[in-house]
Amino acid sequence: MAIIASDRRSRIQESPLRHVDPLLFGPPLILGALGLLMVYASTHRILESEHLDPMFFVKRQIIAIVIGLAAMVGLMMIDYRRLRELSLLGYFATVLMLVAVLKLGVDVKGAQARFDIGPFQVQPGEFAKVFLTLVLAAYCTRHREEMSGRRLVTALAICAVPMGLIMLQPDLGTDLVLMAMVFTILTMAGARARHLVVLVLVGFTFAVVAVQAGVLDQYQIDRLTSFANTGADAERSGYNAKQSEIAIGAGGLTGKGLFAGSQTNGQHVPEQHTDFIFTVVGEELGFVGGAVVLGLFAIIVWRTSRAARLAQDPFGALCCMGVLAMFVAQVFENVGMATGIMPVTGIPLPFMSYGGSSIIVSFACIGLVANVHMRRFS
Amino acid sequence: MSTPRIRASVISVIALALFGALFARLWYLQVATTSEFEAAAARNSVQEIIDPAPRGRILDVKGRVLVDNRMANVLTVDRTITDRQQREVLRKLSVRLDRSPKQLKARLDDPRNSPYTPVRIADNLTYEQLQYVAEHRTEFPGVRAATVPVRQYVNGSTAFHVLGYLGEINEAELKAQVDPHAYQLGDKIGKSGVELTYESDLRGRPGVTRVEVDATGRVVRRLDKRPARAGHDVRLTVDLDVQQVTEAALKQGLDAARKVKDPASKDKFRLLNAPAGAAIVLDTTDGSVVSLASEPDFNANEFVNGIRQSTWEWLGDPRNNLPLVDRAVSGMYAPASTFKLVTAIAGLRAGVVDPTTTIVDNARYAYPTDPDHPFKGEGANGKVDLPRALAVSSDVYFYRIGGELFARQKRGDPTGTALQDTARELGFGAATGIALPTESVGRVPDAAWKQAIHDKNPAAFPYPEWLPGDNILSSIGQGDMLVTPVQMASAYMTLADGGTRYSPRLADAVFRAGVDAGNAKDLAAKKVRDLAPIKLGTVDIPQRDALMAGFTGVVENPKGTATAAFAGFPPGLAAGKTGTAQVQGKQNTSWFVGMTPAAQPRYIVLVVVEEGGYGAQTAAPISRAIMEQLNGLPVGAVTNVSPPAGN
Repeated sequence: MAIIASDRRSRIQESPLRHVDPLLFGPPLILGALGLLMVYASTHRILESEHLDPMFFVKRQIIAIVIGLAAMVGLMMIDYRRLRELSLLGYFATVLMLVAVLKLGVDVKGAQARFDIGPFQVQPGEFAKVFLTLVLAAYCTRHREEMSGRRLVTALAICAVPMGLIMLQPDLGTDLVLMAMVFTILTMAGARARHLVVLVLVGFTFAVVAVQAGVLDQYQIDRLTSFANTGADAERSGYNAKQSEIAIGAGGLTGKGLFAGSQTNGQHVPEQHTDFIFTVVGEELGFVGGAVVLGLFAIIVWRTSRAARLAQDPFGALCCMGVLAMFVAQVFENVGMATGIMPVTGIPLPFMSYGGSSIIVSFACIGLVANVHMRRFS
Repeated sequence: MSTPRIRASVISVIALALFGALFARLWYLQVATTSEFEAAAARNSVQEIIDPAPRGRILDVKGRVLVDNRMANVLTVDRTITDRQQREVLRKLSVRLDRSPKQLKARLDDPRNSPYTPVRIADNLTYEQLQYVAEHRTEFPGVRAATVPVRQYVNGSTAFHVLGYLGEINEAELKAQVDPHAYQLGDKIGKSGVELTYESDLRGRPGVTRVEVDATGRVVRRLDKRPARAGHDVRLTVDLDVQQVTEAALKQGLDAARKVKDPASKDKFRLLNAPAGAAIVLDTTDGSVVSLASEPDFNANEFVNGIRQSTWEWLGDPRNNLPLVDRAVSGMYAPASTFKLVTAIAGLRAGVVDPTTTIVDNARYAYPTDPDHPFKGEGANGKVDLPRALAVSSDVYFYRIGGELFARQKRGDPTGTALQDTARELGFGAATGIALPTESVGRVPDAAWKQAIHDKNPAAFPYPEWLPGDNILSSIGQGDMLVTPVQMASAYMTLADGGTRYSPRLADAVFRAGVDAGNAKDLAAKKVRDLAPIKLGTVDIPQRDALMAGFTGVVENPKGTATAAFAGFPPGLAAGKTGTAQVQGKQNTSWFVGMTPAAQPRYIVLVVVEEGGYGAQTAAPISRAIMEQLNGLPVGAVTNVSPPAGN
């Protein structure tokens, strides 16, 4: 006992950086690098044929990764317990940005989800992930062990504001990820079982009503319902799903080889370098490549859950569990839609899909988990 | 599920389950069912570009080109240019080509065009038009000048019914193809004549380039290429010189007939209609078709760029005598006296007559059991033996044979069906196998046939029984007997060569593309295959000399039916048989089957003219003109020999 105590004391005195988890950083970096290769594979031909720089998207993605790493490191520097105080500020800033994007944003494929800042686009919805996690974790930590119905409603109201704004864009995919995160944090924060059941039922009913009552735009319903019958409606909304399934299925065990996928080279899968990046992995690197990617994500999830378990305080644990839920939801939804078991909702694959906001936020989330983990003794 | 630890475990299990589901799905797609998706990916991205093969030429027996491919100047437009460019290009082209932009646009958007190859938008351009476009290339983005092979029938309508024509492949023809690359919608395919029967030789094999394309149809890379193989050249047995004379003589004969009175009509001003006819020259040594003509004919070049709708309708209107019908092989006519060859052989084989059997022809024959209903002959010929009966075309002589055979048939004597048996042995009632489509089989009526049509329609055919009159009329080629000209020519060929039956042969060899027909070495080197004469069997022809004497008498005996038509023709050079068939509701069909030279005939020269009156009157002079050419004699003008000398 004494040994442990002295050990603990000595660790408190050390710099928290000595307690970082290398296994947490490896997979995101590998995935990021693999993502660059896949972005190149899916874009260089079309760029070449237009006499543009074949590295155009890759270069921009590299910039995003560098910024993401900086954000990760930056987030690690600030003690996460101080972030708890700052989180409310970030929350309001995010809500403001979400309001602004509806007024001033750029309409891309029917969704008003991003700002153009110079040559880069910013998606406030992505940043909402981080701040909502922090705010919700902070609120739940304060009222831990006494999550009454009223508190639960308050917590849900906090979430409802940014999620509602995101729904207005509309960006269903991000909302789904946020829902997973919210549900997980509430569960871990001790919400009562019957409240959680009611929550699930309400969520389900809401989804049904939304579809029936036309809250969702037709394209969203099409996407959501088309995955069930891709064969019948391949020309329209099921086209993405069908083409991505073909690409992945054609890859086989070991894939067609890098840059040798006909679905990829032929641009048959729309949005391939962004939401459907996994189809490039599936076609060119096969089951082996896909399994490696999923394995790397599994390691991230494993290390994140470990960080939650070892966290020094409930706030840190809730943050980690929130991030974990988001990663799981995002990977499941993204790979699920690429392989045809989930509806097409337009959601990026963390660390790999082309898109600055997603890359930066994904690395920032790793920074948050690392932050909690390395300060488990202090 | 109250402690955070348990809740964390539940969430971990859910996460694990979700990852497990993704692994399972990935395994299912990529390992369990991958082949299905591989195929789908290939369908998605692999496109075939078809490069048509130049079609083979058709040569005459001496190697002269009858059907060739002319190089035509055309303009093609690349369909991948932008809509705005396209509008501009079509507007400018319409000015240069004197065609409306609408017409050009319609051709460009024709769905039969492959989206991966430039579309032919204008054919048969002048050199100046082509030059203008070439010099102003920047004004015409996506437009290319090209030369493409276009089918050319060198001698216009000559040998139209032998050569045939091409047309666009239809749905049924496309479906019938085994090789999916062989034809594309919009391709030309032989529709008639040799163009149809030797399609597989002439066609060649189109080249196929497989390319990988992207979702917008742009070519990403070339996968592989199978080069096109040009179609083979087919050499016919037809001799262009004989063909031309045959056609000219037939046309002249028809013209001449239309100017004379119908001898069978009581109306003095009723002229012969002579709307159509056919002529065939066969080489008796191997069954080769030396010429084959059918009137009216048509110029196949009109089909080359797609036939005009109005012309197509005109061709299908019976009032224009259906020029596309090849009467030489598909026309069915009562053979009349030309059929006496068959009756004579049947009578000899059954022992009803021998060459010396003599009767008195008083133009009247009655079957013994029915003396009150005699059959009339065309004039009394007095005492006739078999050769003379042929020469003067004594109906009575052959009625007797038909009558006697019927009596035997009634008695159950197996020789009683000699007439029908001999007819079938000589090829009547069956296709000759000539390499032309639409060959008719004709009809050799007999007891079984009569019973069958009665059973089918008792109201129209009340008598199921084979009656004496049926056999008697058959013996002079009337009644229900129907033959095609090519069958009749083949039957006389069998007589002429002493009993060997050949299938009329239209082509003798197939060569690789571009053979130099005048160069024996090249011919040998490029020969793909010989088309050997097709022997169908032999027929026992008793008393051939007596028969030939009779057929020579037709043109040489002072009483011969065609002696007048052959007046002045060198003796010993011709033999033949006239025929004048009565047709319900029409003027008589005029037949003449010529053989030359008479002693050992080398050629059969058959002529048949619909509504041409007597055989000696219209068909014989046409046959004579052709025989003159075959024998190197000066070819005289074809006239109509009237008044008729007989039937």
